[in-house]
Amino acid sequence: MFPGSLMMGAKERLLPPSLPYRFFIAAVVFHMAAWATLLAAGPEAVLGFMGGQGLVLAALHMITLGTLAMSAMGASIQLLPVATRRPLGPLWAIRLMFWLYAPGVAVFVAGLGLAIPGAQHLGGALAVAGLTVFGGLVAANLRQVGDLPGVTRYTWMAVVSLAALAVLGLGLVVDFTKGFLPDHGAVAVTHAVLAGYGFMGMLALGFSTVLIPMFVLGSAVPDKLAKRSALASGIALTVAVVGVASGIGAVAALGAVLGLVAVGLHAHALSGTIKSRMKKRFEPFFRLVWVAVVLLPLGLLVGLALALGAPADPWATLWGFLLIFGWLLTFVTALLQRIMPFLASMHSSSLGGKPALLSRLAPKLPVDIHLACHTAALVLIAAAIIGGWTWPLWLGLVAGLAGSIAFGGFAIEVIRRYRTHMNAAAAANHEG
Amino acid sequence: MAENPSMEANTKAGGPPEWLALALDRPPVDVRGILAGGEDPFAAIMEAAAPIAFGGFLVIDAPFNPSPLRRILAGRGFSSYGRKLSEGHWRVFFHLDGGADWEAGAEVEVLPEGAMTWREDDGIHIDVRKLSPPNPLLAIIRLIEGIDGDETVVVHHDREPQLLAPELAERGWHIARMASEVVNIRLWLERI
Repeated sequence: MFPGSLMMGAKERLLPPSLPYRFFIAAVVFHMAAWATLLAAGPEAVLGFMGGQGLVLAALHMITLGTLAMSAMGASIQLLPVATRRPLGPLWAIRLMFWLYAPGVAVFVAGLGLAIPGAQHLGGALAVAGLTVFGGLVAANLRQVGDLPGVTRYTWMAVVSLAALAVLGLGLVVDFTKGFLPDHGAVAVTHAVLAGYGFMGMLALGFSTVLIPMFVLGSAVPDKLAKRSALASGIALTVAVVGVASGIGAVAALGAVLGLVAVGLHAHALSGTIKSRMKKRFEPFFRLVWVAVVLLPLGLLVGLALALGAPADPWATLWGFLLIFGWLLTFVTALLQRIMPFLASMHSSSLGGKPALLSRLAPKLPVDIHLACHTAALVLIAAAIIGGWTWPLWLGLVAGLAGSIAFGGFAIEVIRRYRTHMNAAAAANHEG
Repeated sequence: MAENPSMEANTKAGGPPEWLALALDRPPVDVRGILAGGEDPFAAIMEAAAPIAFGGFLVIDAPFNPSPLRRILAGRGFSSYGRKLSEGHWRVFFHLDGGADWEAGAEVEVLPEGAMTWREDDGIHIDVRKLSPPNPLLAIIRLIEGIDGDETVVVHHDREPQLLAPELAERGWHIARMASEVVNIRLWLERI
């Protein structure tokens, strides 16, 4: 009785739980592996990192490809169709995406860490193939949607960024052996900007316009405000990419300033949601969201200083750290803390009976330990990068590893509690 | 019509709007057959509404309270008033009068998220169709958090709300049953 109301049913939207969870489990494993690899590389290698093959670059890609993108893929395949009310694609394509991507990332980071060109090429090709399937599925979904500008505009920018960063990434890998790029460093920074602010950043901002209102039970972000912040983000990204690719510092600086404006507009767009929320007390995962929200503009400020001529040592390392570990890793682990038990709860009534309570599926101790260790790692490592100190860096790496192990414990416990609930439901069904 | 329980409740709540008497003899546009055929009658209704001049009327017969349609037509200046004539048969009267403060005389309450609520024999009904996410979730949670007793809440949705069950469970509620029709998925929510 109203336009656009004949949509797909829930069965097409609710995936088998094993599909999103395989991505989340892989993300958790790569998270721990990344911190362990950084520890193996040692504080000196981390402090002196300015690019190039080795354990530090491998660890960096364990986080970006293995944890951040992997989590984004797992969350997108389940939440995008629920948000847009359109199917994402056939299940075989999602399975294919995982089996191309996860082993691809593993082989690729092994190739980077051990400087094996064949592994880099094979792993990079597989990972890009997986990302291509992902980009294709998301693009096909978005093409059917006209009523969610807040999500779709950001996600379209993420898809375009993904295509560009994948091309540049493959070029960088081949350049390790062929040396055909005129300025490897400039391409690497452009690749990083597209990956951090383009692909992952746009996905994070876009999904936050749906997830944050849902998780705090606040009003939807008005389309007008979402469109405005998406437009500002797109302009900022474009200017920044042009600036870093061309090596014109003033343009890159303008991109950083516009990025700060876009962040302000996005915060303004979400402020109404936060003020109107029905859950007056923030859930534990929101503590990490606040940390991430502070570190996003801080990273942009460091990027601005770099663009205006601040020395690459230590500011380039600090910028990369704040972007990847500070803003993105913090934000993604925050959302995983909420999404994993939430999805488990959604599936928990599939055998009939009562759904499992969110509050009972999510153990609190591991997330408290992760919060303490992760924030300690951020502070210690940032301080060590600025001061050039090795012992705080070492402590920070240990804290980061401990936090990632606690996060792994959280994931295992969520799955264990979900399985216990499902086994009890199956037994009750059998008896009934 | 006086014996209709929902109508009786409406009269107690302040009665129908004054313009209703002028609309009672208008022939209704019956969309129940279109819906039974699995088609969306929105275009047919808009076609019927288009030639109506200011001060004119439109009457729709539908198998349920077409709350989203009432909101959409309110945005185009139509006040509305609905009556449940029998099970599976609603008659809604529309009056093109500017639509200002239309819900005051419409025997319904409109929540901050735009969801329409009204009371029937089987409980409190809430229509969240066509609301942007997460407003359906918010409206339902807002409603059940305001209920003290064991009253049933009947939700009219345009899809199976996957995100609702975990939030209901946290509040001691669950989806007791569900019925799926064209453009109207109904969920009966009860305390666990």
